[in-house]
Amino acid sequence: MKSAVNANQLNFTYETEPVLRDVSFAVPRSNFFIIIGPNGSGKTTLIKAIAGTLKARSGQLHILGKPIQNFSHRTLAKHIALVPQMVPLEFPFRVSEFVLMGRAPHLGILGLEQAGDIEIARQAMTFTGIEHLAGRQMYRLSGGERQCVLIARAICQEPQIILLDEPTASLDLAHQVQVMDLMEKFKEEKGVTIIMVSHDINLAAIYGDQLLLLKEGQIVKLGRPDEVLSFQNLEHAYGCKLLVDKSPLGESPRVTLVPRKFLKLRANMEPSMIPTSVKKKPPTGPDH
Amino acid sequence: MQPRKRIFFVCVVLMAISLTALNVADAGIVKDSLGRTVHLPPDPQRIVAFAPSITEIIFALEQQQRLKGVTIYSDYPEAAKSLPRVGSYVRLDLERIVALRPDLCIATKDGNPKALIERLESMDIPVFVTDPRNLESVMQTIGDLGAILHATDRANALVGNMRLRIQQIKSLIAESNDKPRVFFQIGITPIVSVGTDTFIHELIVYAGGINLGEGKASYPRFSREQVLGLKPDVFIISSMARGVAFDKVRKEWYRWPHLPAVRNNRIFLVDSDLFNRPTPRLVDSLETLAKLIHPEIFEEIR
Amino acid sequence: MIAEKTTILKRILTISIGMLLVLIAAAVLGISVGSAGGGFETVIRSIFGKTVVDSSLEDIIWRIRMPRVVLAALVGAALSSGGLVFQALLRNPLAEPYILGISGGAAIGAISGILIGLSQFPGVSVSSFIGSMMTLALLLMISSGRTILRKESLLLSGVMVNAFCSAVIMFLISMTQDARIHNIIFWLMGDLSLAGFKQVILLAAIVIPGIAVIFWLSHVMNLLLLGQETAKSLGVNLKVVTVILLGTTSLMVSATVSQCGLLGFVGLVIPHLLRFVVGPDHRVLVPACVLGGGAYMIVCDVLARTLPRQGEMPAGVITAIIGAPLFIFLLKKSVR
Repeated sequence: MKSAVNANQLNFTYETEPVLRDVSFAVPRSNFFIIIGPNGSGKTTLIKAIAGTLKARSGQLHILGKPIQNFSHRTLAKHIALVPQMVPLEFPFRVSEFVLMGRAPHLGILGLEQAGDIEIARQAMTFTGIEHLAGRQMYRLSGGERQCVLIARAICQEPQIILLDEPTASLDLAHQVQVMDLMEKFKEEKGVTIIMVSHDINLAAIYGDQLLLLKEGQIVKLGRPDEVLSFQNLEHAYGCKLLVDKSPLGESPRVTLVPRKFLKLRANMEPSMIPTSVKKKPPTGPDH
Repeated sequence: MQPRKRIFFVCVVLMAISLTALNVADAGIVKDSLGRTVHLPPDPQRIVAFAPSITEIIFALEQQQRLKGVTIYSDYPEAAKSLPRVGSYVRLDLERIVALRPDLCIATKDGNPKALIERLESMDIPVFVTDPRNLESVMQTIGDLGAILHATDRANALVGNMRLRIQQIKSLIAESNDKPRVFFQIGITPIVSVGTDTFIHELIVYAGGINLGEGKASYPRFSREQVLGLKPDVFIISSMARGVAFDKVRKEWYRWPHLPAVRNNRIFLVDSDLFNRPTPRLVDSLETLAKLIHPEIFEEIR
Repeated sequence: MIAEKTTILKRILTISIGMLLVLIAAAVLGISVGSAGGGFETVIRSIFGKTVVDSSLEDIIWRIRMPRVVLAALVGAALSSGGLVFQALLRNPLAEPYILGISGGAAIGAISGILIGLSQFPGVSVSSFIGSMMTLALLLMISSGRTILRKESLLLSGVMVNAFCSAVIMFLISMTQDARIHNIIFWLMGDLSLAGFKQVILLAAIVIPGIAVIFWLSHVMNLLLLGQETAKSLGVNLKVVTVILLGTTSLMVSATVSQCGLLGFVGLVIPHLLRFVVGPDHRVLVPACVLGGGAYMIVCDVLARTLPRQGEMPAGVITAIIGAPLFIFLLKKSVR
């Protein structure tokens, strides 16, 4: 089966600075694919390249088996939906109007929606749990509610691939889990491929089928969470020491930040000798 | 020539003659001062004048019974004040004009908007445009209007009288070698005088003076310093606002006692209307100016 | 609930018909009122073909007032929809049709034409139109290539061009010392009094297709409000759309300004007012602005003709006197 997205030697430069260097990877269909990496690693640029809003300087990008250049803007929008981080609020749209705009690639010449479009939007809002907010104006929503609206709009595009740019960045904890669960449900019920940029490694570890770890525009590692999230990979990518063990919830790895005071070690213990799965917590006092 | 062609030729000539005869007899189709072809009514009874000067001329020709509408500032003679208004001469009111059902409108080239004249023509209202730029063309205009309004005798009398008085002044001036330097001030702040292309310049020259404002610009601006440098012999101040403003201006110039005009007490105020309007009264203005500029010659003249 | 009882089509039709009635009422007012006297009865009798008492009044109504009312409607429609488009393109509620410097260029062109001694039509109109097209070209040169899509750069360039044009205009005015200065000032203040049937037809030939194009793109304008990236991801071909909207609107506004001078505040206030009333959906807003803007301009022109005791005011004075306080009022109402 053809992969949802296939990237080959993608290069992207912003003015003279290279942002993506020879990036190659494939995203299998119906995969929950999460891109992680420090700031400036090119995550957002990569997502925008896949969405078609940025054009790569060189390299090939195939969407559902076809080169991205072969898609018109409109056709691409029927296959890929982008959930941005923020929504501009200068104009007083209502939630229902906003969600309906997701039907844009499917609408006729004057953009007049039919009963079918309205029904799809209603179902999208039900799916994301915001149907009670239909008449409310956008600027009166909380951050989490807004995120759900953006997701509902993306669902209306009836995409096969949905791209999210740090959807949980400014959400409180309850909404973070809610959004990730929504995406998982969407993937499982409709077979949609989810490609997400996340700054939260643990969420990525729990939900992701495949992770792509970037650093300075290059791939550090691509694979399952337990393959990608190793002490070496993370230190290489993020430039700091991170403790990796198993999440108490199950099989996913868990990554913990290590404050400086825990870095003082016994004389003969090198950082590289700390095993990747440690069942006990490290010592809490000064080294002894 | 073959007989048929000859007959054709003769017919064409006859037609041409009869047409021109018709035109002449009709006094119908004339060319106005803009070179436009205007279809005049043979005996205009409902005239609208688009400038105060035109109103004055029509009254001077004693044809005011034909006049049905005038512009706002038509205030001379007194009777003109009671005629219906059609706006100001820069901003004419199309509706009011049309409501008066005129059979002829008389306009001036300067000031009246061309677009309006074209609109009126498109509504089959003829507009005769005059262009009185100096004394000679004012007299020409009086003559033209006299012809149109069937007041040729009166027009000739007016023009004759004007020419006579101008002649008189010119000949008296010729006897003097003295040409006083005249600063004719029409603007107070900023100080504005008059250039060569104005009525006033011509009047000053005929009245035997030197117009210190002469030059290409019609209304040149001066700084106080520049005026002082010119050392005028006579100040003539023409202003709409009388009384208070004049005293202030005069006091201002009196601060410079080295000026010949101040030493000899020759700062005068005149009525701007008399100097701005291309009407027979321009000759009155000429006489006034002559008296102010050459008092020694014109003691006797009214 | 999202399942609105009225579909979008019904909404568009309802609002359009409502606004059309307003426009017709304004038009009737416009041709009934004037310095030659009120003629409401005459209007009615004339429409229904009955004999009319005062035939010169009838002449005035249909040959003077009617073209003027049609002109006002076209101007109001063009400026309002133009302002709406700029507000969507630049995603800025303070945008208005002159913001990109079109007005500055048109003014310089018009003043130059007046100074040379051209007649109002076609001379000054043409020179004014050329002036505005030149500033548009200048603007495109300054914000060239890809940066035309960056709204900040477009806005900034427009402000600079406008400032430059203002300086040139002030210079030209200071050099003019004769009667032509009246013409210049009246042009700058907006003047609907000089246009005849020919000019109205010409303007209609530019404005009406322009409005059709804008209405065709009204849903796209909704998407533009979501931000450029989002609009692209929803299938909008940003470059093509921007060029079409910018070009169409500039053409419409230039044609309007070159016929009638600078009428301010219409393009800023009407979109805001109507957005307040019918909401931000452009599919409804565009017809509302076109019809409502036309009605508003007709009313402003009526006031310009009837308020002063003698003669008339320039229409631009009225649009400013009404527009500025109205805008402040709307701002206060919408402050959350």
